Amino acid sequence: MKRIDVKLNLQVVAPLLDLIKQIADELGDRLAAPQSLADLDTELRGTWKADLVRGQNEDCRRFLGLFDSEFFASGTVGIDEDNAEAILRACAAIRLRLRERELRDFADEVLEGGNVDVGQFAPPLQKAFMTYIFLATVQELIIQHLESALLEG
Amino acid sequence: MRPPTARLESAPSSRPETELALEGLWRVVVLNDPVNLMSYVVLVFRRIFGFDEATARRHMLEVHERGRSVVWTGVREKAEAYAFSLQQWHLTAILEPDEAH
Repeated sequence: MKRIDVKLNLQVVAPLLDLIKQIADELGDRLAAPQSLADLDTELRGTWKADLVRGQNEDCRRFLGLFDSEFFASGTVGIDEDNAEAILRACAAIRLRLRERELRDFADEVLEGGNVDVGQFAPPLQKAFMTYIFLATVQELIIQHLESALLEG
Repeated sequence: MRPPTARLESAPSSRPETELALEGLWRVVVLNDPVNLMSYVVLVFRRIFGFDEATARRHMLEVHERGRSVVWTGVREKAEAYAFSLQQWHLTAILEPDEAH
């Protein structure tokens, strides 16, 4: 099984984890992305949403599970074919919610470009932006190193 | 996911209009969002639809530049399954009837 061990800077990442956990908890029974299927009958829409929320919560649980005692001891997280998809999806869900909750005042092109002087922001906004970038970096690492394994799976 | 087949199985003469409306071809349309990475969207398209890199990238760019891309067209049941899969990956997907058929 293909696996990557990612060495993270504890001093940078650890302070972001409480916000990540908070956002994941907030998602709880809500979907990160709008469901947008108005023509489904009510019963199907309810079942559909419940299944999506269940999967979303499980993905977030697996992602948060990376940051265990081993991570705090070594700064390393292990990503393999078994957890890569869940982590990719969890990062997407948390980023979507983070954008909606903390970064809503940024224009799309500013966030997409990433050319932002983080130093000019108040600390809470700095943290939100750093978290947003960190999650994207995790996604990029997975796609770069495990794409072929994910596509074969 | 609930298999949405039962409502298509009754005899034509007894089917209400809402059921008949679910027949025909349906489009799975992905809408743009400013959050998900381009590389992520390409991966999701390849993973779900089995697109090659070039096709997945073309659809991703269409979503990015035009705000939407029709990624699949076919029967309602399968369209629903694809929309569900796309939503599992947190892409915004809608279904719309294919008026051309």
